[in-house]
Amino acid sequence: MDNVIQLQKKLVDYKTSLFNEGILDDQFTQLQQLQDESNPDFVVEVVSLFFKDSERLFDELAKTLDQQNVDFNRLDAHVHQLKGSSSSIGAQRVQKVCILFRNYCEVRNIEECLKCLQQLKREYYFVKNKLETLFKLEKQIMEAGGTIPVQ
Amino acid sequence: MPEKALEIQPITITTPTPNSPMATPPPPPPCRTSATPDSPIMTTPRRRALHRLTGFTRSLSCRRKRAPSGRRMCPVDQQDDFQQASTHCLTSYYSVFVVRLAIMIMLAILIGMLTVLTWHFTKVYTTKSLDTLAYGLRYELLQRPILRMWNILNSTSEITTAQVKLSEYVLRKYSSPVTQANPTSQAQLVELYETMKAVTWSLFQSRKALNAITINYRNGFVQAFHRDHRSNNTFYIYSDLSNYSISAGMYSRQGWNDQSIKGNISAIWYREPLDPNTGIKIGKAKPIPADDLINIAGLSQVPDGAATWDVAVSKYTDSPLLSAALPVFGPSNQSIVAVVGVTTALSSVGQLMKELVEVHSGHIYLTSQEGYLLATSTNAPLLANTSMGPELVMAVDSQDHVIRKGARWLQAIYGNKLPPGHVVHIEHAKLGKEDYYIDSFFLNLKRLPIVGVIIIPREYIMGKADQRAFKTLIILISASVCILIIGCLCILILTNGVSKEMKLRAELISHLDARRRAEASNNYKSQFLANMSHELRTPMAAIIGLLDIVITDSSLASEHYASLTQIRKCSLALLRLLNNILDLSKVESGKLVLEEADFNLGQELEGIVDMHSVQCINQDVELVLDLSDDMPETFRGDSARFVEIFSNLISNSIKFTKSGHVIVRGWCENWNAFEDSGKSLLEQKKSWCALRSKFKQQTNYVKKTCKKENKMILWFEIEDTGCGIDPAKWETVFDSFEQADASTTRKHGGTGLGLSIVRTLVNKMGGEVKIVKKDSPGILMRLYLLLNTPSDGSEQSCQVDFSKPTVVVLALGGSVGRGITSQWLRRNKVSTIEASDWKQLTLILPELFNPTNECNGSEEQPSLSEPLEEEQPLSSEEQPSLSQTLKEEILNIKAMKDQVFIIVVDIGLLDFKAGIWLSQLDYLDQFTGKAKFAWTLSHNSSSMVKAELRKRGHVIVVNKPLYKTKMIQILEAALQGRTLEIEICSSDGGASTNKALVDCDIADALVPLSLGDKIERLINSRPTRYQDFINHHIEFTDQNPEPSNSSTDSENQSQSSPKLPDNGLESGRSKSKGKEIASTSDESQNGSPTSKRQKMVSSPPKEKGSSSSSGCDEEKLRGLHILVVEDTLLLQMVAVKILLKAGATVNAVSDGLQAVEAMTSMIDSLVRRNEAVKKGLEPEPLKSPPYDLILMDCQMPVMDGYEATKEIRRMEEGTRMHIQIIAQTAHAMSTDREKCLAVGMDGYLTKPLQDKITVETIMKHLGRSID
Repeated sequence: MDNVIQLQKKLVDYKTSLFNEGILDDQFTQLQQLQDESNPDFVVEVVSLFFKDSERLFDELAKTLDQQNVDFNRLDAHVHQLKGSSSSIGAQRVQKVCILFRNYCEVRNIEECLKCLQQLKREYYFVKNKLETLFKLEKQIMEAGGTIPVQ
Repeated sequence: MPEKALEIQPITITTPTPNSPMATPPPPPPCRTSATPDSPIMTTPRRRALHRLTGFTRSLSCRRKRAPSGRRMCPVDQQDDFQQASTHCLTSYYSVFVVRLAIMIMLAILIGMLTVLTWHFTKVYTTKSLDTLAYGLRYELLQRPILRMWNILNSTSEITTAQVKLSEYVLRKYSSPVTQANPTSQAQLVELYETMKAVTWSLFQSRKALNAITINYRNGFVQAFHRDHRSNNTFYIYSDLSNYSISAGMYSRQGWNDQSIKGNISAIWYREPLDPNTGIKIGKAKPIPADDLINIAGLSQVPDGAATWDVAVSKYTDSPLLSAALPVFGPSNQSIVAVVGVTTALSSVGQLMKELVEVHSGHIYLTSQEGYLLATSTNAPLLANTSMGPELVMAVDSQDHVIRKGARWLQAIYGNKLPPGHVVHIEHAKLGKEDYYIDSFFLNLKRLPIVGVIIIPREYIMGKADQRAFKTLIILISASVCILIIGCLCILILTNGVSKEMKLRAELISHLDARRRAEASNNYKSQFLANMSHELRTPMAAIIGLLDIVITDSSLASEHYASLTQIRKCSLALLRLLNNILDLSKVESGKLVLEEADFNLGQELEGIVDMHSVQCINQDVELVLDLSDDMPETFRGDSARFVEIFSNLISNSIKFTKSGHVIVRGWCENWNAFEDSGKSLLEQKKSWCALRSKFKQQTNYVKKTCKKENKMILWFEIEDTGCGIDPAKWETVFDSFEQADASTTRKHGGTGLGLSIVRTLVNKMGGEVKIVKKDSPGILMRLYLLLNTPSDGSEQSCQVDFSKPTVVVLALGGSVGRGITSQWLRRNKVSTIEASDWKQLTLILPELFNPTNECNGSEEQPSLSEPLEEEQPLSSEEQPSLSQTLKEEILNIKAMKDQVFIIVVDIGLLDFKAGIWLSQLDYLDQFTGKAKFAWTLSHNSSSMVKAELRKRGHVIVVNKPLYKTKMIQILEAALQGRTLEIEICSSDGGASTNKALVDCDIADALVPLSLGDKIERLINSRPTRYQDFINHHIEFTDQNPEPSNSSTDSENQSQSSPKLPDNGLESGRSKSKGKEIASTSDESQNGSPTSKRQKMVSSPPKEKGSSSSSGCDEEKLRGLHILVVEDTLLLQMVAVKILLKAGATVNAVSDGLQAVEAMTSMIDSLVRRNEAVKKGLEPEPLKSPPYDLILMDCQMPVMDGYEATKEIRRMEEGTRMHIQIIAQTAHAMSTDREKCLAVGMDGYLTKPLQDKITVETIMKHLGRSID
């Protein structure tokens, strides 16, 4: 039981740190609140959907930027999607980069766009890592028979 | 010929003097190092030096010419072709010069050759042929005297021979007996001599030329005939016969010598003159000394028995004599019996020579081999008298100087060694000063070789030829020189044309170059602008993006949010400016295309004015917007450009206005009505005459094209009280980068682009902009635009119902704005009282309201209807400072019944120093019940003041500047708040379906400079839910106590019905500061029924909110059927989850098309059902419940949200349905919101969806309460 309490504490700390560092925002909390008995894996589902989606979009972005004549409208649409999904799960930093990215799209600055894509990927893997760790912790708690603490 | 050419060339070439065009050629040829290095030109060193000099200068000028071309070459590669052209020009330029030079040289050579050839043929050939002829002549000339000589010699020899033969015959005849028998007798001898004499005479007689014939017998007897040519006498000379024994003499061979004769002094010689013809003795014989007269050839002269020749000199002749001697042999042929001598004078040869010379000039002479002169053609004596008697003269000593010189010349050249044969032909012998031909011939006679010399002056033969040749040469040379000069001139003139053309071409090319460079630089400029704006746009994008990020941060205080929004707006404005720069170049190149879209002109202008008012307030400048009422609301055109025009003009005006005001006036005319009004306009403004004619020209065209559209001429004036512009510059200020005063850049900044953009845009919109004269300082800018209005929408903007008598007290700081507002109010039959400061306000207010406590104490009930009617005298006494007109006005107002008082107070009237403003507010509070207060705030009004105002229940608050729309807003808010009361009493009006959506919540309105003080009308299809809505509305507002929540989403609109604007506003306020109001509501004393009601209404929600603050989110949307349109699966999931959690039934589709399809089926089924109901049939059950609401994503593939909404709205036409569509968009900008609303959406949500806000918004739009 100590273990569970410890894990729970750890989870809370971790989550707090994520929020404090600005990696996640209230949207994630909201997501968690939406999760209920009828749909116990809602958060994980949504987040993994986000991962899947994002990776697809990264591919698309890289492809679009790789072309001779960059289709900025398409690029913009992709980034827009990414921005929407990232903001929906509360991946704040990814969202912010998306905003910048879109602005550069508007000005048609390829170099900055490429930079943004790199940064986007960095942020994405960062948040992915964090979220996976989070889910792992939650899973551990569940396995240990504890409940996930609500904020 | 080559030598000749060489000889000639210097002459022909040097004739062009150094200052002739050839020496100083105008166009420098290319550095000609080896053009014609071996050409004859170079022969003279002077020429060479000259050439080197010119070559040097040429090369200098070449270098000078090339240097700039090199410079020109370096900057750009793209000018290669041009460079080529210019070098081509240069080379052709040089080539022309070379050609010119070559032609000149060729001409020179040609002329030189001609000259030389002509001269050659005329002179040399003539000379040669003449020489040949002359040689023949000379030869002939010489030949003849020699022949004569020869003849003389021959005849002499013949005579001699004949004499000898005759003598031999005679002697033989006489001697034979003598020799055989006895010595001859004397008689025989005499006979012999007589015979001999006769024979000899006959011979002598036959030859006249003979000088003498002598016969010298052996015995010493001499017989001789002598002819004296001078005296023409003929003599017979004989020796005394008696002295000679013939036999002795004749036979003594040995003793027969000259000695015997000459020594025989005793011998007596006789001479008897004879008749020269007959030989008959005509005179007496005279004795003469022997051998005195003639040479008697003796034996000594024929020693070997052969004939001898001799030249003798006689005393009596002045010419040499030629004597020949022959021996007469005896019959035995062994002994000489006599010697015959014949003497001939050579003078006949001289005579011949003289004759010859007389015909052909010159001198001829003959000499012996030793050089003694034998005959000459001159009269010079051939003999010299010496002591020894006359002697022959040597030719070198001849008295004739020509002969002497010639002989000496010959001697000098040949000495005594004459060439073999002695034949000499000399053509140029310089004797003295003259040239002579000298020819000599040699006649080799035995014992008397003779040399003949002829000297002919060259002049005689060649004189004419030489002269001719010289003259020809002179003529030729002068002619060739003339031709050369003329030719050179012609070449120069001809090539001058060419070189002029070349110069022109070069100039043309340089102009082309200049033009190209100018174009290039222009291109660079455009490129630069484009690049720069791109480069500037990139950081701007970053700034805006970062601002967006910051704005999305939920933990912002509202003030920060406001500032950030402002920064964002400014950034966008800056970005727009950058775009403008691009636009300007676009317009200049004619690429700008104006958008054609409907826009609300009033709103745009208000937006601009709002935006610039901040600056105005800082500068103490009043910015006033004055639009006429008849101005249609919407126009078709390019709103962005329209805004740009006014933004530029207004900011320009503000920039140059230090204090005073800037007024924007606007009115419009119908295009069709223009023609009539144009006349009056014309009368007013002559300067617009041209404009009118332009209009007329356009009229026909426009009428054709725009019949359907309602074309309007919009007139605008922007007037300021700034520094003004010099009238001379009224035109030029509209040029690019032009400012009225160069120093303004320093003072005011700016690029000078603004007005030029304005003019191009205005022209593009079919209008014109101009600065118009005005009396006061500052400028008045007038412009007109041609814009279309949508034919249907010509509704008037002012729709406030002023049926109730309304009194507005305008307590505003800015006099102009106040004046304009009050004028407008008066036009609309609203009584207006103006107050410019606090003091005046305090005077007016009691005047208006005070009388109530005097007379009708009982009537201070909240009805407010009849409070003030009387007591004017008192009031006039109390307020002595009020002017008479004002008092009258107040009286008039008081005369009215049932007025509504609205007091518009400028926040600037409050004195914020110390705490005075609170007491001022307290003072005003006493009128709260009697009048409604509206406040105009400035952007820098502190939040404390705002809070205080809210606290005191002053809920009608607008931002400065105050203009018509805002005034209407205030009036509506105030008046309809009042009517609302009545309608609430009547419980359900139901008649009005209008619902006003106050687009901004009050929190937003309090944000300084918010542009959002607009009133939008939307059609609400659910009027019946009205009551529910109010309750619900108030309830939900209280559920969000945190102000930050509302500030994050500007689209979090409060919606209220037009019947409830007051309430709506207040509830909106309570949303942000609900608790505060609730807690401080007790403080609002003197609460009028209105405010009490408000309290009452607002309190229950508070209780409800507190009771169900967190828990009852669930099931709020129970029973609702919502369609979620979202393409991103994740977002769709989240949205669905949120809605499900709230209890709604949710359907999700992934694009607009599917949504439209879903709606189509729903509408179809509903329509069918309605029809069924109408027909009284049992309605068939719906497959699915109809959707109550659509949550529509904006950006989607296949069909986006805007399109889908338009489609749905189109479908709804005709049905009485109106489904609520709420947009979900990621853009947090107001333009997006407007766009959403424009396409017919009812509201909107920002992504990411937040469950509470989402649910609230949905409920709000459905007017649904928890039950």
